[in-house]
Amino acid sequence: MRLEHWFYTIPLRLRSLFRRRQVEAELDEELRYHLERKTEEFDARGLSPEEARYAAFRAMDGLEQRKEECRDKRRTNSIENFFQDLRYGLRMLRKSPGFTAVAVLTLALGIGANTAIFTVVNAVLLRPLAYPEPDRIVNFMLGNHEIEGTSVPMFMFWREQTEVLQDFVLYGEVVKGPGVNLTNTDRPERLRSIPVSADFFKLFGASIEIGRTFTAQEDVPGGPRLAVLSDGFWRRRFGADRTLVGKSILLGGEPYVVIGIVCDIEPIHSAWNAQGPSLRTDTPADVWLPVQADPNSADQGGNYRSAARLKPGVTLEMAKARTKLAEARFRQKFPGGKLSSFSFNLEPLSEAVVGNVRLGLLVLMGAVSFVLLIACANVANLQLARATGRRREMAIRAALGAGRRRIVFQLLTETLPLWLAGGALGIGFGYSVLRALLASSSVNLPRIGAQGSAVTLDSRVIIFTMLTATFTGILFGLIPAFSASHDDVSAALKENGTRSGSGPGQSKTRAILVVIEMALTLVLLAGAALLMRTFVALRTVDPGFEAHNVLTFEMSLNQARFDQTVAVARLLRDAQRRVEGIPGVEALAATRSLPLDPNPDYAPVIIEGRPPTKDRYQDWAASRDVSAPYFEVFRVPLLRGRLFTERDDERAPRVVVINETMAKAFWPTDSLGRAPLGERITLYEEPPREIIGVVADVRDAELGSKPEPMVYVPVGQRLDADNAEDNKESSMIWVVRTKSEPYSLSDGIQRELRIASGGLPVSHIRSMDQVRMEATASSNFNMMLFNIFAGIAVLLAAIGIYGVMAYAVQQRTQEIGVRMALGASQRDVIRMVVRRGMRLALMGVLIGLVGAWALTPLMASLLYGVKASDPVVLTLVAVLLSAVALVASLIPARRATRVDPVLALRLE
Amino acid sequence: MSKPSDLVQGTLDLLLLKILALEPLNGFAISLRLKQVSSDVLQVSDGSLYPALHKLEQEGWIAAEWKLSENNRRAKFYSLTRLGRKQLAKEAANWTRLSDAISHVVRIEEA
Repeated sequence: MRLEHWFYTIPLRLRSLFRRRQVEAELDEELRYHLERKTEEFDARGLSPEEARYAAFRAMDGLEQRKEECRDKRRTNSIENFFQDLRYGLRMLRKSPGFTAVAVLTLALGIGANTAIFTVVNAVLLRPLAYPEPDRIVNFMLGNHEIEGTSVPMFMFWREQTEVLQDFVLYGEVVKGPGVNLTNTDRPERLRSIPVSADFFKLFGASIEIGRTFTAQEDVPGGPRLAVLSDGFWRRRFGADRTLVGKSILLGGEPYVVIGIVCDIEPIHSAWNAQGPSLRTDTPADVWLPVQADPNSADQGGNYRSAARLKPGVTLEMAKARTKLAEARFRQKFPGGKLSSFSFNLEPLSEAVVGNVRLGLLVLMGAVSFVLLIACANVANLQLARATGRRREMAIRAALGAGRRRIVFQLLTETLPLWLAGGALGIGFGYSVLRALLASSSVNLPRIGAQGSAVTLDSRVIIFTMLTATFTGILFGLIPAFSASHDDVSAALKENGTRSGSGPGQSKTRAILVVIEMALTLVLLAGAALLMRTFVALRTVDPGFEAHNVLTFEMSLNQARFDQTVAVARLLRDAQRRVEGIPGVEALAATRSLPLDPNPDYAPVIIEGRPPTKDRYQDWAASRDVSAPYFEVFRVPLLRGRLFTERDDERAPRVVVINETMAKAFWPTDSLGRAPLGERITLYEEPPREIIGVVADVRDAELGSKPEPMVYVPVGQRLDADNAEDNKESSMIWVVRTKSEPYSLSDGIQRELRIASGGLPVSHIRSMDQVRMEATASSNFNMMLFNIFAGIAVLLAAIGIYGVMAYAVQQRTQEIGVRMALGASQRDVIRMVVRRGMRLALMGVLIGLVGAWALTPLMASLLYGVKASDPVVLTLVAVLLSAVALVASLIPARRATRVDPVLALRLE
Repeated sequence: MSKPSDLVQGTLDLLLLKILALEPLNGFAISLRLKQVSSDVLQVSDGSLYPALHKLEQEGWIAAEWKLSENNRRAKFYSLTRLGRKQLAKEAANWTRLSDAISHVVRIEEA
């Protein structure tokens, strides 16, 4: 039945579409035949030929409308109309290139900004991680992001939950870890290496190019020294030599057999940003080594990560419940162990990677959508102004049988090319701006790759942009379309051509659009101003150390010859003697971590002579191993007691320096400011140390957060076992204070460090100024984008208000002329026009203030040094925007005063 | 308005199909035939006839063909298709059911 139906109808439809002229001719002929016969009939009844013809037409009851009805029955009429309207629309746009250019550029700006931000959101938040079934991978964490890291025993207990999870993986750090030195070549190099357990490659879906990866049998303590290289490193360093597999290379002074080459997988490692620890996936590893963790280990150090895959049918909640079980068993075995105050927890891997940048990106997305709305409102406004010039055209169309629907569709179809052109241009524009932005600034976002190379246009971005263009095009195209189709036909036709006034409804629509624009702009401005205040506050905050003229170098001591603390101490002395001999160098110190480049170690603190609290690891302090000149290099002032000296070595009494926050937090009752000098504290399971000095606070974690309690431990006084562990978990960082521009001394310092260390490579050369800049990168990025958006918004809103006022003045030329003829002064005219403009502006500002008050708290966590609803900020932006609106309406107001009353009156 | 106000909705289709089931006709002839068969009771305006015919054509119920008319001029003749015959049967049955039901109701009122 259906088939037969199509058999008849498809040829008809095709005919109406592609042989339109013939179909039309046939319709004409058919109706003409009817009319002729009818005329003959009337003729026969004795009417005059003239009357007969007229009667035949009358019987048809509107020939053109009937024709249109017949066309409608063809079902293809809407398609034909669409193309016809489209052609007409394009012709209209060509005829007014000024309007077209302004509208398309405005839309390209709005849509392009959205494309740019969406491209980032897509790369960071939407694109699934490049692992097999990434949403089934869970990340093990302690507490709720309070602390990162897993200890080996924790992993061993967690690993028992095989009913809910599989492919348990323990792995180390890529970027913050020390890596490993490739030695015995003419180009020694520090490699980014990660120790991983055997299932790592399976969990993260690495594809093997040559050879194989580790087996579980090899991943045991004392197992063979094996290495799996990444494809990128293998090509770069070994020219893709296939014979390398099976040979051994020297890593950290030990031979490792290369067993396989693995394609670059989206690597995973941890990082910090302003919101705390997170995982990053954008720095590739060079080499993977078997972690060979001891299942019976009691080491409570937490510098590993772990992850696993949910078994089929298992939910995250089920896995979490079983993980609690593992926690209970762990606590039974290690009551009160390090990190024991944090509970075992799981989260989806993607959450660990992007969880703490999501808010910032969504706020940006919200802001940029405001820009688009403002741009669209502006274009709709322009179209409304144009539509009034076409009222007669619309009236004639209506009189000739075009229904309201038809007119609305026509105007929409004419509009769409504008939006689509804006969208197409916007993709190019937005994308190139984004590229420049990502390449120029150090943006602290996960998953974007080096210089944002992973932020690419894909089909989703293009679909998003085109959908945005179409949707806003229809939404905002409907406003002028409806407003035009509401017109009273006869009134419009009666109106004389020169003065095509707009109905009161239309100017109301335009006023509403302008008010909305102003309101949106105010919200954007408020956001931008708050981020600006944050930026200034972060720039002016005293970090507690002097960053200028300090250069930092990293060196991996991850090799057996530095296992003994004495060996490290010897290296420090040697390096200090050599580097401080360079003219221009003031002092050299070594440290395990840098201020503002947070990778802090936390140590549980027990104060001697105090009764143990219920949980004896309740008190925590950040800890940093430093060499004696550290405080001199960073110019951290001593408050009381003394600093480390060279004599505080492995043979001397064990000592520690603490910061002021710690002194106040741990000895709050000390009113005389003497204590805690001489007090003894225990860190971890170490023998106790004596507090010899208190130094001023340093903003270590980030510029925007309060200093934490901190203990400084002399590098040379670490226990051998701890020292060896430190070497595996972090690099040694050399910090040099110079008398002048530090980079000029970089080569000399590197050379001396290399000699002192027996040829170890030096990497990650950064000035502290740069470290400080990177620490505020994400808030700078937010601020910069917000400023751009707010700038565009203000410009568009000003144009919007100007447009409405200029138009209103033009409409009222005659009225103004009459007023002036009756004695109104120029001031009166200006006041009249400006008052109307400002009434709109202030209404928008008021609504915007309410909006800002409601919305800015969403960005509270992105702010520093300013409250989200800061009254000063809100007042300032309100005044600023009102001022802009005032200027924008003054221009047309002044033009109004130049109206010549005589000319204006003659216009009628 | 093209909807014949004096015809029950949908009955115009039925009438047209029925008329064309007898013989292929052109539009003007159909308009005459309509008046003739209904003894001038059913008045269909010329204006609404053509959109209705075009609709039936697009549904595939009638097919059009250009032929010479009785006065030797080219005219568009409509004839029923196989699909149209089925449709006619269906609509006729519907109509009978509806009119039976209505006459029934009318008779009850009289009693």
